[in-house]
Amino acid sequence: MARLPIGARIRDRRREQGLTQSALAAAAGISASYLNLIEHDKRAIGGALLRRIAEILEIDVGHLSGSDDARLAQDLVELARSFGSATLPEDSALGFVARFPDWARAFVHLHRRYRESADAALALSDRLSQDPALVEISHAVLTQVTAIRSFAEILDSHGDLVPEERGRFASIISQQSDELANSARQMLDLLGGTRGQVRSSTPRDEVDDFIIAHGNHFPALEQACDHLRAELTDAGADLAAAVDERLAGRHGLRTSVAAGLDRAQVQGDRLLLPEGTPEASARFLQARALAERELGELLDGLTDDPRLTTEDSCAGARAALARYAAGALRFPYEAVLETAEALRYDVDRLAARFGGSFEQIAHRLVTLRRPGAAGIPFAFLRADPAGNVSKPFSISGLRMPRLGGTCPLWALHAAFASPDRPIAQLVEMPEGERYLFVARRVTKGSGPFDAPPVAFSVMLSCDAAYLDRLVYGDAFASRATRPTPVGVNCRSCRRGDCAQRAHPPILPSAPARPGAAARQPSAPPDLGDARTLRDSSQPEKRRILAS
Amino acid sequence: MTKTVLIAEDEPFIVESLTFLLKKAGYGVESHGDGKAALDAIIARRPDLVLLDIMLPGINGFDLLRQLRGTPGLSRTPVIALTAKGQEADRQRMLELGADAFVTKPFSNKDLMIRIEALLADGGTSRAAAAGRTDG
Repeated sequence: MARLPIGARIRDRRREQGLTQSALAAAAGISASYLNLIEHDKRAIGGALLRRIAEILEIDVGHLSGSDDARLAQDLVELARSFGSATLPEDSALGFVARFPDWARAFVHLHRRYRESADAALALSDRLSQDPALVEISHAVLTQVTAIRSFAEILDSHGDLVPEERGRFASIISQQSDELANSARQMLDLLGGTRGQVRSSTPRDEVDDFIIAHGNHFPALEQACDHLRAELTDAGADLAAAVDERLAGRHGLRTSVAAGLDRAQVQGDRLLLPEGTPEASARFLQARALAERELGELLDGLTDDPRLTTEDSCAGARAALARYAAGALRFPYEAVLETAEALRYDVDRLAARFGGSFEQIAHRLVTLRRPGAAGIPFAFLRADPAGNVSKPFSISGLRMPRLGGTCPLWALHAAFASPDRPIAQLVEMPEGERYLFVARRVTKGSGPFDAPPVAFSVMLSCDAAYLDRLVYGDAFASRATRPTPVGVNCRSCRRGDCAQRAHPPILPSAPARPGAAARQPSAPPDLGDARTLRDSSQPEKRRILAS
Repeated sequence: MTKTVLIAEDEPFIVESLTFLLKKAGYGVESHGDGKAALDAIIARRPDLVLLDIMLPGINGFDLLRQLRGTPGLSRTPVIALTAKGQEADRQRMLELGADAFVTKPFSNKDLMIRIEALLADGGTSRAAAAGRTDG
């Protein structure tokens, strides 16, 4: 990845703040000439010095270091690849983002709007081709138009019609015209009904952007939760019991279990939990309810953000922050970090130690990003058995699929076949970066026998450089262990020799052979089985519809 | 001798306009709105040409055409399929099953009549020859 112009950022920001080079250098405890070298990108800067300068300049470290830009550049590359622009290298995307950040954001924004339109077009196209009522109305319209045209032509071209014929044909035209208007109205009614059903992807994207822009870490929430926890457990009380008591005493909200619910809900003065809700979930839901009531103003303040442009986005971000606060309240930052390092990030053991679920702890680990006291940088992803991805949190470097499904080889999917223990996987991306994936199947409590179980797979991932700090890395400590070759998703993956390929790549296989058929890079000859052949037709159709 | 056209179509107004046009042009006309009845009539009376709608009740246009082409002496009776715009696959299938031409609804009267006349002029000799071989 290209080195980011950190120096220029520091210089611009310093000027914005009205500071001289020597004033900033003095405050940061370095010489003015050294700062001058940094500002001209002649000296690398990072770690504590970068954080100190960011603090003095009152700016987010991520902005100075360019990790915001790296993410934006990745989005640009991914969207360019989704259009088949395989030649756009990440370096030039970074340069573009550095020079024209607003234009880059505008492109990403435009692409989102395009995706919404393409989704809407697909939904409508499905509807048009499959809805029997629409097919019937279309047939009626065609019949009416055919009769009208035919009789109109007869009236026009046959001058020898007797008056009875002329009257009869004119009345058929008139009658069929009325029928045609009726059919058109019915069609409008039907199509109008789809408006609310076409799902827009914007609110979720905006919430993701909002959270990632904060580096998965909200210091104000952490602090507020620390205060609240200290207050609740002041007299040595058990936290869970104290939350329960506070909810009832101060907010009049009592928790009880109700039969027949499929998810927790607040009804009047009751927090109702479905039968079979695990202890960890119940405690978490209570903590969330308390955070919503006691930290409401803070949540409102944080979500008053220009990135959240719709009410849905604001509500989504507020809900995400309330979950964050529940985690921060239940699982204290320092204690979790210390224990995680001691237990080598064994998520199941951490869950047992802190009374949380695998998913809650995994989520908490992602948020341990306090400057100066950060844990391993993790990305987080959740998928359902069909591969629908939710709650993605990316980290610098690892691209999270934002435009479609993930690579089927990820442990995220294999975890469904291993319900009782996590799966660890060392992977290598097509460009050579290595990551450790840890995935586990999780369920939403024990529901009634006659209801389908609700299961998800939760995955943490981190750079393979941290292998030795994780218990999950031990299996791959030997240099002889070969990583699993994977991609981000089929569309952007260059691996031509993958037996799990579901979509043809947009990129040509690397290294590209002279004269290789770039138009049809779908499957290598040895993979020409029925699955590949069948599947390869579907994305083509979608692409045509979407373009 | 008057040539006859059989219309297999279930929309009454379309049948009425086609009937008017064909009679004005001097053809004998018979029409049926049901696929089964249309097939029986074709086998019994051997019209010179068939106008065939695809979406027929009883036996649909595809099945009717397949059975018609499998009947001795009817393998070369000219058939014009009436299809809807945008249903390329339907048209292709009708041609594969042995339709001689198709017209797309809403059709132009003039175009339809030109096609009918062309097929009848062309098919007269070949059908007579075919009849000589298979019915003789």
